Amino acid sequence: MRLEKCFFCSSTVYPGHGVMFVRNDCKTFRFCRSKCHRAFKMKRNPRKVRWTKAFRKAAGKDMAVDTTYEFERRRQVPVKYDRELWSKTLRAMKRIAEIRQKREAQHIKNRLKIGLELEDKSAVREVRQNIDLIVAPIARETSQYQRVVQLAENRESQQMMSD
Amino acid sequence: MAVRAQFESSNDIGVFAKLTNSYCLIGAGASENFYSVFEGELADRIPVVHTSIGTVRIIGRLTCGNRNGLLVPASTTDQELQHIRNALPDSVVIQRVEERLSALGNVIACNDYVALVHPDLDRETEEIIADTLQVEVFRQTVAGHVLVGSYCAFSNRGGIVHPYTSVQEQDELSSLLQVPLVAGTVNRGSEVIGAGLCVNDWSAFCGLDTTSTELSVIESIFKLQDAQPSAIVNQMRSSLIDGMMHQ
Repeated sequence: MRLEKCFFCSSTVYPGHGVMFVRNDCKTFRFCRSKCHRAFKMKRNPRKVRWTKAFRKAAGKDMAVDTTYEFERRRQVPVKYDRELWSKTLRAMKRIAEIRQKREAQHIKNRLKIGLELEDKSAVREVRQNIDLIVAPIARETSQYQRVVQLAENRESQQMMSD
Repeated sequence: MAVRAQFESSNDIGVFAKLTNSYCLIGAGASENFYSVFEGELADRIPVVHTSIGTVRIIGRLTCGNRNGLLVPASTTDQELQHIRNALPDSVVIQRVEERLSALGNVIACNDYVALVHPDLDRETEEIIADTLQVEVFRQTVAGHVLVGSYCAFSNRGGIVHPYTSVQEQDELSSLLQVPLVAGTVNRGSEVIGAGLCVNDWSAFCGLDTTSTELSVIESIFKLQDAQPSAIVNQMRSSLIDGMMHQ
């Protein structure tokens, strides 16, 4: 039994669920629930609706291009039954799903890394701009303060080098 | 030999069966009767396979194939596709076609070398036909009907077309196909030849209503019994067309 994907949100449509719309040019659209069907009837573009898989892929939030997706295709030419091949395929499917999950998680982690860096930078900027709140302007003239700043700058530049 | 058969009291056996030179598909019916007719005639030479296409049993109208390949419509489920693949010989290429006109048997008529197709068929589908079935493809109509698969039936040795096909058109078609053609009917005057007749190079099956005149036309044009004097065919053909005109 083939489990089709919802046209709108790309979730799986299980047997007995959702509706199918067949346009007069024979293209079929499956919907997992009335929410997706209604959105389609309102001519919403799934790429512009933030909760769909299509949006997440188009906006770079989820992994879109990967070799693990190449396996999941509707094949038009069948292969003759071969027990060996089928058992191998079943084993491979589990492994591929595992790899895909890992890669998807990594993709999100990489995406969030940029945010962390920006956060760090803005924190540094904030300290620089509002240094008066921490250290009085007069105190900044002391040699002790300057040594502390020197050390901090050194550490920062070292970190930049190692990155 | 041409054999008369009936599928659950329907004479349109071409709807429920697909016959080619290397395999035969039969729609899964309630009784084995129809299946036995085909098996009795063919089983020692080619596989006879029970199947459905998209859970529908009108496989003769939905599929199209020849010795080299088989095309099935997009509605075919994965299980059916797998079943057909396992049952047919390895030399037969099977392909599912994403085509708007999903009744491939109605829009494509072919033998092992040439195919006539519906004029509105996709270009991609046309290429798939040429590649999979290894045929030359011509966009044609038969007697003004676009459903070429329904209104004609031909093998590598001969063919029958819609009774209203003009002589010029017959000549044109037979020069495309490189086989002799005759205008005729099956099932006591039915003009949907493709629905009433399943034919390959050495056997033919037609509906139970087919008259003996029609049967003899079929046998002679498809050369099912060798050494048939052609004069008789011409005589019968003219009388058959005469009969049509007077109806």
